Amino acid sequence: MPRRDPQEVAERQALAQSPDRVELAVALARAEIKRARGLSDPRYLGRAQATLGRWWKLAEPPPDVLLLRATIEQSLHDFKSARTDLDQLIAVRPDDAQAHLTRAVVATVTADYTAARTSCAALEHLAAPLIVEACRAPLDAIEGDPDVAYRRLAAAVSDPSADPGLRAWAQGTLAELAIQRGDEAGAATMLRGILSADPDDAYARAALADVLMHQHEPAAASALLKGFDQIDNLLVRRAIAEHAVHGPDATRLVQVMHDRIAAAAERHDRIHMREEAMFTLAVDHDIPHALELARANWDVQKELADARLLATAATAAGDVAAAAPVTSWAEAHHVHDARLTAAFGGAL
Amino acid sequence: MKTAILIVVALTSPAWAHKPSDAHLALHGEGAVLDGRLDIAVRDLDGALQIDNGDGTITWGELQAAAPRIAAYVTDRIALAGDGSACPITLGAAQLVDLSDGAYWALPVHATCARRPTTLAVTYNLLFDLDAQHRGLVHLDGQTLIARDGTPITATLGAATSTLSFVKEGIWHIWMGLDHILFLLCLVLPAVFQRRTARWQAADSLRDVVTEVFETVTAFTLAHSITLVISAVGLVTLPSRFVETAIALSVVAAALNNLLRTIDARWAVAFALGLLHGFGFSSVLIDLGLPSKELIGALLGFNVGVELGQAAIVLVALPVLFLIRRTLAYQALLWAGSASVVLVAAFWSYQRCFI
Repeated sequence: MPRRDPQEVAERQALAQSPDRVELAVALARAEIKRARGLSDPRYLGRAQATLGRWWKLAEPPPDVLLLRATIEQSLHDFKSARTDLDQLIAVRPDDAQAHLTRAVVATVTADYTAARTSCAALEHLAAPLIVEACRAPLDAIEGDPDVAYRRLAAAVSDPSADPGLRAWAQGTLAELAIQRGDEAGAATMLRGILSADPDDAYARAALADVLMHQHEPAAASALLKGFDQIDNLLVRRAIAEHAVHGPDATRLVQVMHDRIAAAAERHDRIHMREEAMFTLAVDHDIPHALELARANWDVQKELADARLLATAATAAGDVAAAAPVTSWAEAHHVHDARLTAAFGGAL
Repeated sequence: MKTAILIVVALTSPAWAHKPSDAHLALHGEGAVLDGRLDIAVRDLDGALQIDNGDGTITWGELQAAAPRIAAYVTDRIALAGDGSACPITLGAAQLVDLSDGAYWALPVHATCARRPTTLAVTYNLLFDLDAQHRGLVHLDGQTLIARDGTPITATLGAATSTLSFVKEGIWHIWMGLDHILFLLCLVLPAVFQRRTARWQAADSLRDVVTEVFETVTAFTLAHSITLVISAVGLVTLPSRFVETAIALSVVAAALNNLLRTIDARWAVAFALGLLHGFGFSSVLIDLGLPSKELIGALLGFNVGVELGQAAIVLVALPVLFLIRRTLAYQALLWAGSASVVLVAAFWSYQRCFI
């Protein structure tokens, strides 16, 4: 449990005394969102939402509230509401770089690449060049040529004048592009570099574990993930890896995952369908159910990882037609992705 | 609240991947009483009530000191109502339990409704002002209801109540009600002593005795079944004070008949008085919460239960009475027993009518 920050306690008391002070609520909610991300703990998202409770249901809340509301909605996979809020925010505050960047992310997840490009373009006058490149590169890679996109982003990342924090973030995106090109070894090297600089980068750790699993090295993946069980995305991957190698923690981790899935179902949460489908496919070997989950997940989010998952599940089920939404998406946008092609058995 | 009991202390044990905030309220009903447990994450309680001194570790002492505040918080924010009337809640001594995502404060919950509820409204309003993604999962009779805010959620109970459970209720109603047992014994007591050519003497054959008892019990069953049905479906309803008093008077009448021997045909007595008892059974059945969907099954089940309960008493009493029918002990039982039943039942009648 995190220590209580005395300043935050004081701010909470001040807000309780004057509940209309939106700037206090925004600062507190921002701290909760930061905590939710830092600890990978969804509980603090709910606390952020409650902190904004007075403004949460308003049609036109103050712009700062709109941004945080969209951020929370995005985290809860309510992409439609997030998009509406971001569009509304940009209409009143067109120079909000964070709003454009978040809008680009939300639009990309929902496969609205035109809107995503508009947002990345808007960033040109508002943000560092590396941010603009990292915003655009995944779009170029999906809709165009992953090699070209990779080279452009690689050049931007190697610019020594860029902010080191930004470079680490952009390197993660670059590693994704390497995977898309089929250069798993190159991606692994990059991800290891990110992790040696910041071992707490859960995103890079998950991506590296995926590379290792893809290279049929579950033991190495499990070792990489050991000690990070408190992070959802890493727990599910370690459960799968341990199960694959019949490791000493396999039974316990599989049980924990089953408990988590049951608990999420009990409260009707549908935000972990991607992870649940991965687990159901790899550990439970319940292919029909995994396919069902992967399809339902694709209805909500359409990132490359989601496309690969549905393709893998459909191929495992011997029912490639079940992945029709992915094939038509890939055709419509001329998607080139090495793992997706492999998932379809080279048939894409 | 009593001092909490420590079961497992593992507040600092490494938690698994984080879950969103859930609390569980599990309740099961037994007649008008609801029993169960409320499990709330300790860290949620800390968020709401500032249990920790701020160092990031909640100690047992801190929890114990906060126990009364926790109990007050819960009773302020959870309410149960059965068929529209409140079922007051009392909380038991808390335990600390270690669930997969951390420590939970487990509070035994006990609620008493006016009668067995057919619908239960649960108002659950914990933590929503702290965590908008908090969910109260209410487990009730095999259903799980989800509280997303403080709006009352309603569950229909008893839909799953089986005919079998009504059989059980019928048996218990007979065995727990001294008035029914005494009435039955008064009817059975003289059966082993039969009138022959204007004289009373011990019955010779067990078959005659069984036949007569069978007739008596059947007459009673028929009669109370008739009034049970017409009263349970609402065709005729009588005030319960009147019914209860009349049942007590019927016991007086049955016992008096043993002493005075005015009516020889005991089946007629059994039938007449059985009509009264049926009204009594139906009020029990209504208190149990009669399911409208399975009315027939409930009535049938309850009636079968009543018969089984009676049959068990007769099967125990009759052989004993038959064996001792020629002894002084039997005469003593018949006269003194019947006389004391008259007195006891007369007192009940007075009590039920005037007190």
